[in-house]
Amino acid sequence: MKFLRQTAAVFLVAIFIATLFAGILAPAPYARQFRESPNALPSRIHLLGTDELGRDLFSRLLYGSRVSLLLAPAASLLATIIAALVGGVAGYVGGWIERIALAGTDLSMSLPWLFLLLTVRAVLPLNLPPAASLLITFGLLGFFGWAASARVICAGARGLRNSDFVLQAKACGCSSQRVLLQQVLPNLRPVLYAQFLISIPVFILTEANLGILGLGVSEPLPSWGGLLRGLENWSAVQANPARLAPLVLLFVVVSCFQLVMPQEDFAS
Amino acid sequence: MTQATPLLSLRLSVDYPDKPSVLRNLSLEMYHGETLGLIGQSGSGKSTLALAILRLLHLHRGEPRGEIWFQGRNLVDRSEREMRSVRGRELGLVLQSPLSALNPALRIDTQLEEAWRAHAEGSRDAARKTILETMSSVSLPAERSFLRRYPSQLSVGQAQRVLIALAILHRPALLIADEPTSALDVITQSEILQLFQRLNREFGIAILYISHDLLSVASLCHRIAILYDGEIVECAPPSQIFGAPQHSYTQKLVAALPRGPFLDFHNDKLGSPASIADEDECAERSAKLSPR
Repeated sequence: MKFLRQTAAVFLVAIFIATLFAGILAPAPYARQFRESPNALPSRIHLLGTDELGRDLFSRLLYGSRVSLLLAPAASLLATIIAALVGGVAGYVGGWIERIALAGTDLSMSLPWLFLLLTVRAVLPLNLPPAASLLITFGLLGFFGWAASARVICAGARGLRNSDFVLQAKACGCSSQRVLLQQVLPNLRPVLYAQFLISIPVFILTEANLGILGLGVSEPLPSWGGLLRGLENWSAVQANPARLAPLVLLFVVVSCFQLVMPQEDFAS
Repeated sequence: MTQATPLLSLRLSVDYPDKPSVLRNLSLEMYHGETLGLIGQSGSGKSTLALAILRLLHLHRGEPRGEIWFQGRNLVDRSEREMRSVRGRELGLVLQSPLSALNPALRIDTQLEEAWRAHAEGSRDAARKTILETMSSVSLPAERSFLRRYPSQLSVGQAQRVLIALAILHRPALLIADEPTSALDVITQSEILQLFQRLNREFGIAILYISHDLLSVASLCHRIAILYDGEIVECAPPSQIFGAPQHSYTQKLVAALPRGPFLDFHNDKLGSPASIADEDECAERSAKLSPR
């Protein structure tokens, strides 16, 4: 198990670095169209072949991985921060504040949030510049994806609220805010870390879902969702099975995230 | 430090939502530099009293009524902000279980520094200086490597000393110790008792020592108060408690002490704070401290 975890971690780091240096590693810019060779099969020039527009699939995969792998953690960070604020304060303060916050998270969790995302995304103009669509997609993920984490963090903070060391810190004259920041938060760190890690693959998959439906990051900027959309054309996939590469990579990366997660955190 | 004004004088009733009248019009007086032992069985409201004095009872959903006069002020009227400046600076608290009262996620120097910052401003060096002084006054190694440890890396006795250091960092006038030795083995227990005695003598810190162990209290305290059924039923010097207990509960407590050829605690000798070396000094102190 330890070997698997290490391998997964090494693999994730390798992919991450590869995507960071996409500008150097990619044989062509992601939007460049080789008009003379559309739908090319894998060759030495195009490692994974090209799409209908003659864009190099390997380059698009590298750039697309960069978008997904950088922005899913960013969205996860946003979601975890919101969850820590809502859940941490609610659990620590307790009383009616906790009740309202938990009602809010319950409401938010009961919403079918993929549909909600679709609705919100559909309300926004579709012809956004790629960079804006990218920020909006992951901003939305972050803003809608905090509820489950908030509940977990709230439960952790509630347990700490009545702990002896919080009582002791208060008896030393520390203010409530200070106790929350200096005493409670460090004890929540493992929970926050686990929630952060758990949210990343969730957001990668959600972005892929949106992308397949054409509501994610807009063309020509690639993302995993957008690349998976290319699989709609089944005859092209049959002609060039290397087109399945984004799907395989998505599967492997999400599995690796599951493997890397500290097992002991699942108990809590 | 006049004889006439007590350091702490309270008259208090406490209710919990599911348990009314835990304390019923309990009245208690303590004097400067005094060590008062508070004895009562489990669930008799000893810890409730400790938290009520610090005005932290709301954390356990208790509702106190009455007055708590401490150093000339009624703490019941104070705002939360004013109470915060009293807690830790004038009133210290030591809890029962040292390992749960220290934050497991923080190094002990961080925790001591937090407690220092609650009432002092200044550089890290100033904080460190006070912390190191306090460490040596509770007989802990005043070394950086020791301060960098986490609570899980300490023995229970060391952790209890760190807890005491936290409580006396600002030299409070009154230290409330809530069963501070009940989680310790006998040898560590006697060391901690000696430490309390030394803090009382060296710094003149008054100590409200809450316990269910009559013997350990006898060796430390100038007076012993017996809490029974939410009231103080008897409050007297150890000699009287052991020699001539008045209340039937006190009589039962004293009668329950172990007896045997080597164990005779039922004479007057043990009645005075035995470990204070100088008998004369002891007598002088109890004369000075005795309210009547």
